[in-house]
Order: sequence, then structure tokens, then C-alpha cells
Amino acid sequence: MAHHHVTSADIAINGDHLDTSKVAKVKSIALGVAVLGTVVSLYLLFFAPEKIRGPFAYSWLFAFYFFLTLAIGGVFWTLLHNVSNSGWGTSVRRTFENLGSTFPWVFLFGLPLLCPQVQQYLYEWMNIHREAHGNVKEHLHHVDHLLYNKYWFMNLPFWYGRAAFYLVALGAVIYGLRKLSTDQDTDPNPGTARLLKARYHSNYPLIIFALTITFTGFDFAMGLDYKWFSTMWGVYLFAGAALNSMAVIVLVCTWLKSMGHLKHVTGPEHFHIMGKLMFAFTTFWAYIAFSQFFLIWYANITEETSYFLIRNTGNWNTAMYFLVFGHFVVPFVVLLQAWLKKNPKLLSIVAVYTLCMHALDHYLIIIPERGVSLGKIKPEIFGDIQVSIPGAFWGDILAFVTIGAAFIFILIRALGQHSLYPNRDPRILESANVSN
Amino acid sequence: MSITRKRVYGYLAEFKSASALYKGAEKIRDAGFKKWDCYSPYPVHGLDSAMGMKRSILPWFVFFGGMTGTATAFALAYSTQVVIYPTIVQAKPANIFTVPAFFPIMFELTILFSGFTVLFGLLALIQLPRLNHPLFASRQFHRATDDGFFIAIEARDPKFSPNETRDLLADIGGSNIELVEEED
Repeated sequence: MAHHHVTSADIAINGDHLDTSKVAKVKSIALGVAVLGTVVSLYLLFFAPEKIRGPFAYSWLFAFYFFLTLAIGGVFWTLLHNVSNSGWGTSVRRTFENLGSTFPWVFLFGLPLLCPQVQQYLYEWMNIHREAHGNVKEHLHHVDHLLYNKYWFMNLPFWYGRAAFYLVALGAVIYGLRKLSTDQDTDPNPGTARLLKARYHSNYPLIIFALTITFTGFDFAMGLDYKWFSTMWGVYLFAGAALNSMAVIVLVCTWLKSMGHLKHVTGPEHFHIMGKLMFAFTTFWAYIAFSQFFLIWYANITEETSYFLIRNTGNWNTAMYFLVFGHFVVPFVVLLQAWLKKNPKLLSIVAVYTLCMHALDHYLIIIPERGVSLGKIKPEIFGDIQVSIPGAFWGDILAFVTIGAAFIFILIRALGQHSLYPNRDPRILESANVSN
Repeated sequence: MSITRKRVYGYLAEFKSASALYKGAEKIRDAGFKKWDCYSPYPVHGLDSAMGMKRSILPWFVFFGGMTGTATAFALAYSTQVVIYPTIVQAKPANIFTVPAFFPIMFELTILFSGFTVLFGLLALIQLPRLNHPLFASRQFHRATDDGFFIAIEARDPKFSPNETRDLLADIGGSNIELVEEED
């Protein structure tokens, strides 16, 4: 409350636009890296020797799903802010929308995963389905009773249909909400109509969002081992997505502020709230992660324990222990400090750290499956089942850098398209003067 | 006429509104007073910083209270389930790696002990329960629970002076300024 009270005189009447010449260099480097990386990656995914193609499919899946969770999280925060009728975050809401708007573009990087040449290394169940010529269900009845029972959900047309649904439905949701929000920026007679409309059209999309985060997790990640299942899988991925998309939002806001944008409208109070949300989801992630482990550990059912059996073997076990402390204990203690959350620079350091832990989390979700599945699917090429595949790590880095650079490019492009905060939103002054 | 000995508690001044109270509090804070307090029928947002109040020590009590809870639960579960009477369920080990099974208890006792420390630590810090408060001697003070906003500056504050403090309260918008006396 000590700072200056923001009035409408402080709000940029025609919006606060990103100076594109300042970010042109970062943007073109990101684009260059992304294009080059994509070309190399496409070669590695489709034309390289099988011994490279197999492991790299997992690298691509890891990188794709990591950045997809960030984009989906952006949609989530937009929806939550609208549907909860919030006023605090109006000045940073455009960043939520911009992050969410990367969703359809990031999803395009999943296109290779729709090709059978790539799927054959990832999804054993699809191979079994494709072996059938003619009646798939009849074939499964003879080959694998589990897949026969799961046929109603795990079948190729439905799988492709769901993939299309994620892209179209959630893409339409964020496109519509962002358009509704940015149209207000230039409206000569801004009123509350769009605000109420955005609130209304954010409630049922929460269901679309929940289906997307849950079932992309089922289809792309849980499907790696068709025998394994976890009822907490969707909420586990959601916890990580919400936490880390907030970390990205904190980073973007800090970056914009350091360039002189978001002046007057965002301050320590906003970062304090965003830090609190990060804290909340750090705790929530730990709660869900532990609950998932705990249920599987206690029940001790063969189909369920396979996940932790793979990941608690060899060096993966060290990484899993590290995840417990690195993803929960350390950020929990650090984010308890109120003064730290009010400082954008310090909070950004925590945000970068959290994103590193998210990368480790997703690495441990996808990659330990690689040595096991490849050995199971094509032992004549990949040899016996092994804990990890030597040298495949470089592919993981390549895929991560490629999609990461593309993500940065898409995000900066989105930031440059409209005003950086909804300057004619009825709640902008309420948000600018927020105190908590 | 009463023959009870009386002692000056301090000055009580009424303010017109929450915002007048807030602005008055900032001025008294800047004047350097330490032993004083605001009274309002409802919580006033940001009043703690206007009063220049330091952060409470309570979180530290709670932290150590919670840690005691965690340690107690672990000691309890470990000593009974591993050392004294190892319980083997589904061939799971009874050793330090059984710790996931103890987590719910460790979590619950952390919360329980934290909760207790919050309650009893808070009561100790604000010195409740107490039977009486010197300000209850004031006839106008009961309005603090209805529509009155008050500031009371205690006489034991080193900056207190019978005339200047009254003038200060009047300057910053206080009305119905009253010297409250408590029975000794």
C-alpha cells in the first residue's frame, strides 16, 4: 500500500506493445535453432538407421510432452482466472492467454507421433493392433486378452480421434478466449460484456481442459506400457503443468518488466500471488506424486508396480530420490519466504529451477521406458532389455532444444501481437492496485 | 467520591472512519510511538503496515512445533513397527525403507502439532485469556465492536506526554479524546 495509487492516467490508452525490434534478435535465433533442429530431428525420426530412430522417438516424445504441459497450463490459468471472476491477475492475464495460445502450435510438434514409423518404437499396443489383418478385435482375442478388454478405449481410430479432439477443442477454446480479450483493447466503448462472456465461456472449457491434460497423458505417456495404469496419472500431470506454466508466466512477466513493460500495472503484489500459486502447486504436486507412489507401493499389484520397478532400478533410482528433494523439499522451503516471492528476480530464479525439475520429472516419466520397451519391441535391433541406452542422451538434448527454441519463438511472437496487458479491461485498475 | 487508587492507562481517541484510523495510525507510527494500538469493529486491510508492526515470531514457533510432530510420529511408528514389533505385510521390508507407510502419520502429527502451536502460541503472544482490559473503563470504548474506530496510546510509552500526546491525537483527526484510568 506504500506505493503510488494507480489511476486510469497511468494506463496506456492504446496498450503496452512489445517493442519488436528489441526482441527481433532473440526471436530470429530461436526460429533458426527451431528450424535447423526440426530438420535434423525429422531426419532422425524417419530416415536415420533404426538404431537411432528408436531411441530418438522417445527423445521427441519427452520434449514434446514437456512443452505441451506448459502450453496446456497456460490455458488452465486463463480459464481459472476467468471462471473464478478474479480481479487480481487482470494485468498479467494477457500473459496467461499468450502462453495458452502456444498450445495448437506446440501440438503440431506432436505430428510425428501420429506416424506409424515413429509409433512402432513407442507404443507396443499399436504394433499388436497393426499385426491384425482384418478383424482387430478377433486378433486380440487370440493374442492378448488385456488388449482385447481395453479395445473399446485403446483402438487406433479412437486414438487418432482423441488426438484431433485435443488440438481442435482446446485450440478453439484458447483462440476464442484470447480473441475476446484482445478485441477489448481497441474497443472505443469498452464495457463489461466481454468480461462476462469470457467468464461464461470458461466454465465448460474447464472440462475440455481436464480431458486434454488427462487423456494426452494417457495416450502419449501412459500408453508406452499398455499393461500399466494409474488412476492418479492425469492429476499428477496436471499438478506439474499448473506449477510450471506459472513458472513460465513469472519468467515472462519478469522479462517484460525488465524491458520497461507492464509498468504501473504489475508489482510485487502480483509476483507475491504468482509465487503463492507456485508454492501451492509445489505442495500439490508432492501430495499427488506421493499418493500415486503410496497406493502402488501398498497395493503391490504386478501391473501397477512395473512403473516404479523400472524407475527405482539402477541410476534411475538416484534420480527419483533427487526428484523428491529437488521437486518438493527445496522449493517448498524456499517458496515459504514472502519477501522472496515479492522480488521478481529472485522468484524468477526459483521459476527456472522449478522448470529444470519439471524437465527431470518428465524425463523420468518417458525415458526409463526406452531401454525396456525397445528391447521388448525389437530385440533383434536393440538387443536385450536394458536400463538405459548409451548415447541416446544426446538425442534427448537435441529434441528438447529444438522444441524449446520453437516454443520460445511462438511465445515471443504471441507476446508481440497485442498489448501486453488488457488495457481496457474494466478490472485493470482493481488489478493494478491489488494488495494481499 | 471513590477512594480507589487509579493509574493513568493512556489516551483514547476516536476516529471518524477506517480511512481516518489508517491515516492516523501512519502518523503515530512516524511519531515513533511503540506502546499503542488500533481498535476497529472489523479488520482493516494494510493496517498492520500502517502501524509499523513487525512480523510475528509465531511462524517460527509453528515451524518447530511442526517439526516436533514429524519427529514424534517417525519415532513412534519406527520404534513400534520396526524395532519392537516388526509388522510384515505383503513381504514388504520392516526397516527404514518402510517409511512411506509412516508418511500419513508423520503428516498428520505435523499438522496436529502445528495447529496446537498456532493456537497456544497465539494465545500466549496476545496474552489471552484475560479477565479485564484497562480500556473497558472507558464509556465510549464499547463502540469499538459496533461502529467506533479508536486509537489508544499508553502512558508507559517513553514518548508519552500528557499534553503533547493529546495535541497529537487532536491534530491527526482524533475526537472525543479521553484520558483512561485503570484501577490499581
